[in-house]
Amino acid sequence: MTGMSLPPIWTILKWALALSIAAVALFPIWWMVNVVFALPGEPVSLNPRLWPTSIPAGIDKIRLILTETDFLRAYGISLLYAVLTIAGVLIIGSLAAFEFALFDFPGRKLLFGIVMLSLMVPTAVTIIPTYLLTSQLGWLNTMQGLVIPGVASAFGLFMLIQFMRAIPMDMIEAARLDGASHFQVYWHVALPLCSNALVTLAILTFMQTWGNYMWPLIVSSRPEMYTVGQVVGLFNSPLSHQTVDTVMTANLLAAIPPLLFFLIFQRKIVEGIAMSGTKG
Amino acid sequence: MAFLDIAAVTKSFGAQGVLKDVNLSIERGEFVVFVGPSGCGKSTLLRIITGLETVTSGTISIEGEVMNDVEPARRGTAMVFQSYALYPHMTTFQNVSFSLRMAHRARDVIVDKVQKAAAILQLDKLLERKPGQLSGGQKQRVAIGRAIVREPRVFLFDEPLSNLDAELRVQMRAELMELHRRLGTTMIYVTHDQVEAMTLADKMVVMHAGRVQQAGKPLDLYDDPDNRFVAGFVGSPKMNFLPARVQSSGPNALGLAGVGGAGEATLPFTAPPGLAGPVEIGLRPERMRPLPPGAPPPPNSIVLEGQVTLVEELGSESYVHMVLADGTPVTLRAGRDETVEGPSLRVAADPRHALLFGPDGERIRSQGGSKR
Repeated sequence: MTGMSLPPIWTILKWALALSIAAVALFPIWWMVNVVFALPGEPVSLNPRLWPTSIPAGIDKIRLILTETDFLRAYGISLLYAVLTIAGVLIIGSLAAFEFALFDFPGRKLLFGIVMLSLMVPTAVTIIPTYLLTSQLGWLNTMQGLVIPGVASAFGLFMLIQFMRAIPMDMIEAARLDGASHFQVYWHVALPLCSNALVTLAILTFMQTWGNYMWPLIVSSRPEMYTVGQVVGLFNSPLSHQTVDTVMTANLLAAIPPLLFFLIFQRKIVEGIAMSGTKG
Repeated sequence: MAFLDIAAVTKSFGAQGVLKDVNLSIERGEFVVFVGPSGCGKSTLLRIITGLETVTSGTISIEGEVMNDVEPARRGTAMVFQSYALYPHMTTFQNVSFSLRMAHRARDVIVDKVQKAAAILQLDKLLERKPGQLSGGQKQRVAIGRAIVREPRVFLFDEPLSNLDAELRVQMRAELMELHRRLGTTMIYVTHDQVEAMTLADKMVVMHAGRVQQAGKPLDLYDDPDNRFVAGFVGSPKMNFLPARVQSSGPNALGLAGVGGAGEATLPFTAPPGLAGPVEIGLRPERMRPLPPGAPPPPNSIVLEGQVTLVEELGSESYVHMVLADGTPVTLRAGRDETVEGPSLRVAADPRHALLFGPDGERIRSQGGSKR
């Protein structure tokens, strides 16, 4: 049964539905662009426009945000936070998955069960103990406090295990016979063979880290450690004196990295979500 | 002491015994083939030799050195897997050179060794390709190349040709023999295909249910099997087994009754003392001739009569399947010019070619010098 054999009316309806959903999803982003690249007040006037009216006005606002606030520093913090988290998740996840998927050791099933159980516990339940632990380590307002609690990802482990299980045992044994040490087998054979899964996991981790609001809010209360999400939150706060177009500019700047990221890795992300059966 | 000694090796996975008291000596430069039905333990034995499995008891020694606790990579063995186990993300060059790179050999040594192996295996033009761009036969060669660069004392092959089509298999078989001739290295080869075993082996080791049933030159196993399993396993089509009963026993004359039902036969055979009761006669399909209707059988021959169920015509010869009066299936190989007319057929066999097996499946040999 292919789409060709359906009556045209269904095809039209399908497209109409898809386009409506796309419009609903895209409009807020477009509105954001529209507000930024317009003279102040214009988009919310009695005669609103649905297209940008003044590029220079938008550039001015962007310059204002980047120069007058600590937005660039927040960008740096967020980027570092994301990159370190990705590195940590990939290293720890792949090392653990390598052992869980390809080798037998005492207590393997039990340990794996405990890790999987942690998938079922909502973040809200663990966030207070995690905060207390981080605080006792003296890691509040530090990069390690931001990053380390997030690097052991049960979800990432689960996903990588599924992948590594598909590596033929022959290949691991061949590498052992070729004189590769345990770590060399991991590094030269297992890791390259699940590179697709690693890329997917990196993308999902980036999206999640960039959009993470709660943990940075809790752990880094000092402005020097604010992430983009927190800074945007400040702009949006009820007592902020910013006009709506300045707030929108901050929002747009915060949304650009994930948007670019999505456009570049679109196919991988869709594959990854389909592959992991979750939306990250 | 032999080059490679397998002494009293047993292996169990949990309660299940996979290898039971395996003893085997392999000489330097021999091409040894382990053959047997699936699950007979042949691959496990190979994996034990290379160190991927440990023994439950017994020892493996190479050139007098016990290998039981030696790391797989340090045993001087190299293995070619059934699945080839090539690393899909590496080029042929990287695949072949993997072990040398793991050993941190100098770059020029690596290049030199890989090029030598590539020349032997005609891989020169494929060095930059990845396994996905290679055919089955080429992958096989890369897998062998990976073994060659390690310059092992023993090559181990685990059913390396079973993923290839029939024509390529014959070609690769010839290449393997040529390779063995060139390198002169000891090779151990595992297969379930007895034809492959017969054509390749200097020494053929037939295994069944975790035990070595018999080891020796392929033709010796074919002509002089130790037991019913070896007799039935080696040769295609299989040897025929006819139930019979010992009736009389004398020097160089063993009278049998109830051969395939009601037939009688006298074998030129001196039975061991006390042989009585049921036995089995083994007859190879090519040792039986169809008798034209009405023709008298040759003197002293074993004559069987049955119903033809199937004739497989292969061009140069035919396999005739028939069933005797007591239900015993019999297969014979008839030449193109021999007439096989059903539905009922008489066949004659020279009793000198008959082998005798006891009820326990062990071969009963004639006493007093004669081999048969």
